[in-house]
Amino acid sequence: MDNEKTCPGHNETNLYASRRNFLRTSTALAALAVASPVIVKAGENDEKIAALFEKMPLQIEVNGMAHSLSVEPRVTLLDLLREQLHLSGTKKGCDHGQCGACTVHVNGKRINSCLSLAVMNEGKKVTTIEGLANGDKLHPMQEAFIKHDGFQCGYCTPGQIMSAVACINEGHASNEEEIKEFMSGNICRCGAYPNIVDAIMDVKKGGQSL
Amino acid sequence: MKNIDSYTHVRGESVYLDDIPVVNGTLYAAVFDSPVAHGKIKSLDIREAAAMHGVVKIFTAKDVPGDNQIGGIIPDEELLASTHVHFCGMPIALVVAETDEAARVALKKIKVVIESLPVITDPREAKEKGELIIPSRTFQIGDTINAWHQCEYVFEGRADTNGQEHLYIETQGAYSLPQENSAIRIYSSTQGPTAVQRTTARVLNIPMHQVEVDTTRLGGGFGGKEDQATTWGVMCALATYHLKKPVKYSLQRMEDMRMTGKRHPYSSDFKIGLNKDLKIVAYEATFYQNAGAAADLSPAVMERTLFHCTNSYFVPNVKATAYSCRTNLPPNTAFRGFGGPQGMFVIEAAIAKAADALGISASVIQQKNLLQTGDEFPYGQKAESEANECWDKAVELYDLEKLQKEISDFNHSNKQYKKGMALMPICFGISFTKTMMNQARALVHVYTDGSVGVSTGAVEMGQGVNTKMLQVATNIFSIDPAKVKINSTNTYRIANTSPSAASATADLNGKATEIACKEILKRLKKVAAEEFKTSEENIDLKDEWVYANGEKTMWEWKRLVFETYFRRISLSEHGHYTPPDIHYDLKKEKGHPFAYHVYGTVIITVTIDCLRGIYEFDSVKVVHDFGNSMNTIIDIGQCEGGIVQGIGWMTMEEIVYDKEGKLLSNALSTYKVPDIYSVPKEIDIHFLATQKDNLAIFRSKAVGEPPLLYGIGAYFALRNAVKAFNPSADIPYDAPMTPEKVLMSLYHPFKK
Repeated sequence: MDNEKTCPGHNETNLYASRRNFLRTSTALAALAVASPVIVKAGENDEKIAALFEKMPLQIEVNGMAHSLSVEPRVTLLDLLREQLHLSGTKKGCDHGQCGACTVHVNGKRINSCLSLAVMNEGKKVTTIEGLANGDKLHPMQEAFIKHDGFQCGYCTPGQIMSAVACINEGHASNEEEIKEFMSGNICRCGAYPNIVDAIMDVKKGGQSL
Repeated sequence: MKNIDSYTHVRGESVYLDDIPVVNGTLYAAVFDSPVAHGKIKSLDIREAAAMHGVVKIFTAKDVPGDNQIGGIIPDEELLASTHVHFCGMPIALVVAETDEAARVALKKIKVVIESLPVITDPREAKEKGELIIPSRTFQIGDTINAWHQCEYVFEGRADTNGQEHLYIETQGAYSLPQENSAIRIYSSTQGPTAVQRTTARVLNIPMHQVEVDTTRLGGGFGGKEDQATTWGVMCALATYHLKKPVKYSLQRMEDMRMTGKRHPYSSDFKIGLNKDLKIVAYEATFYQNAGAAADLSPAVMERTLFHCTNSYFVPNVKATAYSCRTNLPPNTAFRGFGGPQGMFVIEAAIAKAADALGISASVIQQKNLLQTGDEFPYGQKAESEANECWDKAVELYDLEKLQKEISDFNHSNKQYKKGMALMPICFGISFTKTMMNQARALVHVYTDGSVGVSTGAVEMGQGVNTKMLQVATNIFSIDPAKVKINSTNTYRIANTSPSAASATADLNGKATEIACKEILKRLKKVAAEEFKTSEENIDLKDEWVYANGEKTMWEWKRLVFETYFRRISLSEHGHYTPPDIHYDLKKEKGHPFAYHVYGTVIITVTIDCLRGIYEFDSVKVVHDFGNSMNTIIDIGQCEGGIVQGIGWMTMEEIVYDKEGKLLSNALSTYKVPDIYSVPKEIDIHFLATQKDNLAIFRSKAVGEPPLLYGIGAYFALRNAVKAFNPSADIPYDAPMTPEKVLMSLYHPFKK
């Protein structure tokens, strides 16, 4: 599933609230279906009960490791990675899908992990920046970012690199113009853009399989 | 040398504030902020919110044990509003809960009744009403009143520049942990750890030694975390103080944009007079700085506007007055350039206006008035100028004549597209303008295994300062870079630091590191001299080997270190540096405030689409005065990044508040920063390498802020392109020049 299909647009006025309401509605239905009457009777504290019901099982593979998790449906993939799996390499820049710092691969496709709910990724394979290198050996794109100085503060870098790898894999890196078009969702406030383009061009020319 | 954080950056292993593993029992904070820009708090009801599940405690102004005050320069800003609110986004209450979600849900249950008071957003209106942060200041040289008679041409006008959101991709945040005996450790995403420490101590009424502030690195700062990071550190510490629990607050993007100040918008009036040879004889400017609701750093920013009001030009008669105007916007703050760019824009506007009226290129006037060595700035310092060198080199290297011809040819043969070009010389003074702040310390330890630990007051925020610190230590000891580690910036290791700002961080902290390393080196050499029975001058360290009288000895670095330790000689040193010869007399507004100046010239070319108003920068060609760059990779990065940010400020970044003082451009969807498309198609950076002595670290001149000033040229290039399409276009000097504004000015006179 793509972000575009599941997230109701860039409603920045109150994305948080709408996401939550949407989930409350949908999970209440799910809860009704599975709840036993005994538990419902114990429901004196709405929040506690809600939390109990709202947890859903999730099977997900992250960086080659299978996880069997229990998550609240409102939790984004980004928060799952950062808070529950302690993979803090994926960054939160805006939480609205506007900066690209949280880019990860799901089944090989790049997405903004802040716009994807964790539970939407049931049975999928997620790769984060931590899963790119092979032990100490850097991925060619990581090498290229170092070679071309494709960062300054480094905060957007994990997202840039994940996006850059996908950009090439999608076949969207045949020239500078194309790279710009397909990297335009990743903001770098330090302005290391020329070097980011150089790094991607370099890897593309190298022709390695990513 | 590559940035020393490269490896961890590309692996996602670099630790930023929000990545610090949380300790068991950590609570989460969120701020309830004012929904109105100015008013009296009639009632604040936190009862329902406080009773919510997961909420631990809600703090208000009443819970501040010390001084409810975060104003650094002037104590005029409350941490938590007690009786009045002065801007939309002003913190009123601090919710602390077991989870981030619970804290944010509780925010919605806080009820505040505020009686509205009149809102001012315009600095000129504030000045009219006497709402000034500090008394106005005037810089003066010569006598403008009498000078106007000597002028052949006199032009007057108005120039405006909007603010700029920092938009560091890492939002503001802090994490505080209780320590034994009521001490508090604060991890803070700040450019000024000491400011966080000092303000925490003041707000909690505890000694500074009880507050440890630690900063590993920032995901961007750009000035936005110089003073404005303090609030969040103090908020967390306040909760930790009361609850004895770890408390974390990492701001959401919209909270950050709504609650924090930005680059100061300025509105200014100018009057410029030239003689028949196009020499600028007199210049007057009045600056109305939009300070926002509290002083923050505004007085210092205003000061730098005055220091840079004549940019790179010598003007014998100048009178420049600046007002820091209090409005009901979030307190505006430091942003790369720190008031300098705002001042320079105005004189560039004045020159452009003169050039338009005289039917010549602005570059003719610019070139004729460049600073020469020995010329006096309005504040009394004599220039050691590279202005002409940079300009001449740019004209020659980039073949200005050819460029001009190409543009002229293009414009003759194209109707829908027009090109415009502008030159922009820059001059930026290096040092904190407050002389007292020009001091730094470094702590260097050499361990018995030969490894070296360096701590300084410098905060790494992408500018590569830690890499430069490492280069200093590596270079002086002549050891492998892998032997040196740069530690986090910590107020327990380095006290009383100045913020990492003013482009001066590498110079000040680098010199302190150099002093500390050299002192240790002296001791090491003494030991070697005794061992090899020669004098210390005849001992050299090269590539981790000891040389005596030019001969390689049996001692390598590690042995030398151990032998020194064995003799009970200290392998640690705390270096202190303060640049010589800088001083300033506030009464006379004269002195020698800067250690040195950085110069440069840019030629910017743009193509506009005259049907749509959109544009693309074809090229940015720079000759920049780096001195003797100690790290060309980092310095080029700073240059390119500064240019992109400067162009952003002048073109697409448009901050919009409504009349009620509410920020409308409050997310990345409504506030556009340069993306990968916004980068000029070509950026050439030529190093004006000079061997002249200067006060920079290893003679490598400061590079953080000056390149941003090149962006100002983008505005004037756009203007010239519009003029090429519509010579009678009446374009106000009002930046940013958004595509909408370009479009409007292209057809402006045809409108009825």
